[in-house]
Amino acid sequence: MNWNSTQHFWLIILGFFVAFIPRFFPLMLFTKRQIPEWFNEWMKFIPVSLFTALVVKDIFIDSESYQFIISKYSEMLAAVIVIVVAYRTRSMVISVVVGLISVFLLSMVIA
Amino acid sequence: MNKRRPNPKQVPDPDEPLWRSTLRVAMPLNLSYVPIGLACGILLHAAGFNTLLTGLVSLLIFSGGAQFLIATMLTINSPLLSIVLMLFFLELRYALLSSSLSPYLKGQSNRFLFIFAVSLNDENYAINYLKFATDKKWTGKEALMVEHYSLLFWAVSNVIGSLVGSALKIDLGVVNFALTALFLYMIVMQIKNRLTILICLFSGVFAALCMMLTKSTLGLVISTLIASLLGFLLETTLKKHLPDSHWLWKLRSPGAKKSVVENTEDN
Repeated sequence: MNWNSTQHFWLIILGFFVAFIPRFFPLMLFTKRQIPEWFNEWMKFIPVSLFTALVVKDIFIDSESYQFIISKYSEMLAAVIVIVVAYRTRSMVISVVVGLISVFLLSMVIA
Repeated sequence: MNKRRPNPKQVPDPDEPLWRSTLRVAMPLNLSYVPIGLACGILLHAAGFNTLLTGLVSLLIFSGGAQFLIATMLTINSPLLSIVLMLFFLELRYALLSSSLSPYLKGQSNRFLFIFAVSLNDENYAINYLKFATDKKWTGKEALMVEHYSLLFWAVSNVIGSLVGSALKIDLGVVNFALTALFLYMIVMQIKNRLTILICLFSGVFAALCMMLTKSTLGLVISTLIASLLGFLLETTLKKHLPDSHWLWKLRSPGAKKSVVENTEDN
């Protein structure tokens, strides 16, 4: 199908709703009610699990076929560097900047 | 203690205005949004989005992953409904983000929650979650300011990217690593004990499996739900039956050399 700007606009509006609903309703529901302690204890494990899943998606999953790939060597090496730097420095800026520089340099060497 | 050099980052100036202290918290994220936003704007331009719509999509959807997905699917001429469906799978994980932030936003008005939800995304969640968990003075107001700073930088970079169009070549693989690095940093900050490392490993392997099986980002949601549930169940069981288990030992923060992360280059 050939897209025009009106169709792009409707895509954005529909996209807004599918993005907004999962952001809003849990917040609405869980801030208004008395939530059992176990739920909060469970939620504490969400960030670490989600971030790991996102990193795995970035490094080991092909973004189009969703196949497992081990070809992003520069990203893998840079990830190890970022972990060490983050652990040592506890600084977000340094971790991100060192990560970008290392992936840039490594991708020139490893290709 | 008093031998330590004063670090301006760790001793905040009490007189610093709020807009500046929250901006400082948001700044690393803002800066990594600049190249990624530029790249995203360029891709959307190539996919046929005009500049006005690029600005609109950055404000309303405000998600790097979703916008890259839109650009990719438009270039292969996917039908509207299949793009929206893919977006739905991709954005479903926000239900987990907002659930896990809810303990910190109790008592806020519906209007606040609405505005907060509109500009919530992975990266500003990461920053706000860390601040909520470690800084008692961090409230919804500060968190919302961080969201809005990141939204501003994201939208402006997207619009500029759309305007320069193909005049600028950006290596997406390299630029996107800024976000990977941000998430890696967040993981390191979240590691509290050996159990968390175990859950990390499990989550990583399981996420890869789930994404391969579902062929979509729905796998992200499934694996996150199960990995976090497993972590919770293991921790509860260990605390109840084996409170001295070494899995629950706290890890020393970086200054301390004897740490669980086995790095051989300890000096």
